[in-house]
Amino acid sequence: MKPGFMTQAFAVARRDLRRERRSGEVVWVTLPFGAVALLLIPIAIGTDTPTLRRVGIGMFWVVVMLFGVLIAVRRTTADSLAQSDMVALTGIDPAGAFVGTATANVLLLLLFEVVLGVLTVVLYDVDLGGWQWFPVILILVAVGLSLLGTIAAGIVATGRGAAALVPLIVAPMSVPLLIAATQAFEGLRLGESILTWVLMLIVIALVLSIAGVLTARPLQETG
Amino acid sequence: MTTAQGRSMLPRSPFWPWIAMGIAGVVTLVASFLAPADAVQEELSRILYVHVPAAWLAYVSFGVTMLASAMYLWKKHLRWDRIAASSAEVGVLFTGMTLVIGMIWGKSTWGVWWTWDARLTLTAIMFFVYLGYLALRRTTDDLVARAKRSAILGVLAVVQLPLVHFSVVWWRGLHQTPSLLKPASVDMDTPMVVTLLVAVVMFSVMYAAMMVKLVELARLEEEVILMERSDDGPVAGEAVSAPTLRGEV
Repeated sequence: MKPGFMTQAFAVARRDLRRERRSGEVVWVTLPFGAVALLLIPIAIGTDTPTLRRVGIGMFWVVVMLFGVLIAVRRTTADSLAQSDMVALTGIDPAGAFVGTATANVLLLLLFEVVLGVLTVVLYDVDLGGWQWFPVILILVAVGLSLLGTIAAGIVATGRGAAALVPLIVAPMSVPLLIAATQAFEGLRLGESILTWVLMLIVIALVLSIAGVLTARPLQETG
Repeated sequence: MTTAQGRSMLPRSPFWPWIAMGIAGVVTLVASFLAPADAVQEELSRILYVHVPAAWLAYVSFGVTMLASAMYLWKKHLRWDRIAASSAEVGVLFTGMTLVIGMIWGKSTWGVWWTWDARLTLTAIMFFVYLGYLALRRTTDDLVARAKRSAILGVLAVVQLPLVHFSVVWWRGLHQTPSLLKPASVDMDTPMVVTLLVAVVMFSVMYAAMMVKLVELARLEEEVILMERSDDGPVAGEAVSAPTLRGEV
């Protein structure tokens, strides 16, 4: 009997996480890379605490958007055409594989956000007003960025220059996410309602989920 | 590619697009200089007659890319892929032109080449999204894979258009609100509006002419790719030799 959609998605997510545990690409390469970026920025713009406190959250989100994309690229560079073909031959539902990969990417991105978030608080001395909303925003951004990255990785597949092309596609397309995330944190700092921005993040996640599931099969067919 | 008699084997490409582009360019220039100068910005205002049509063409081009991409995903015919790609090329050209002309105008009016206005920033981002689209098309020579992948991106990327257009409404920045495409009445003098409309129509003619040439070029490029593949690719069964009886040569 063929396993159900969620079973397939769960199996793919578990495979991706197991592969990450073995390679340690996110934990030992991407994460330290993001941390180095957070350390370099103050050297370039000045190290006075008021300036850093003002720009800290914005810099955090820029680093998450730019370096977080590398988590989605990881799959593109690791999967050879032969591997993709073999997975396709197992009869796995492409949409299930997409959901599984995106889920694994969400978890890795969340880890990335949390570690860099703590580092931002320590290095930039940012305001923590409205912290109760932080998990909601972090999760929604991780979902949006993961979906966007997974779709882009699927579109680019294993073509020439794939590792560089995914960030080129994702970085400009992630602007709505960046706007919503930064505006939500700005709203929290000013004590204003952030429901509009949270709603915008939810809509982005929904639209990308639908797009990802609908395009999974045509993309698998192209190899 | 020529025959032994020196004649080209390629079909004759229509010449009218070149004539149309030339006429459209001349009419736009003449109309821009015949229009009255603005009371405040004086001669600098004439830049509007190139900047606005270029921005309009960028919208049209990327809109056509989206529609043709959707049509490709539906009909699976490479003709739609050629239209989508050609339109994106024109769109990138005119978005770049819009940005450069806007920067020249900005330097004279605002005193800086660039300001972090929402419209400017989002237009620059849109430019890079479609550069990514064109870069994506260079990652593979498999025509069907290339068409399918870029069609999906072509549909998704269209979200940039409303963001750019409504950015001047959603975020109040330095850039003025839409000149023509807005629900409220147009706040320009009639001769200026007429000139602007003439320029928009002429630029649209230029777009059509460029599309004819670019779609034709895309078709020829596909033929070259297919020819190169048929020359180099291994033939099925090539490695298998016919069985022979013992002693037979």
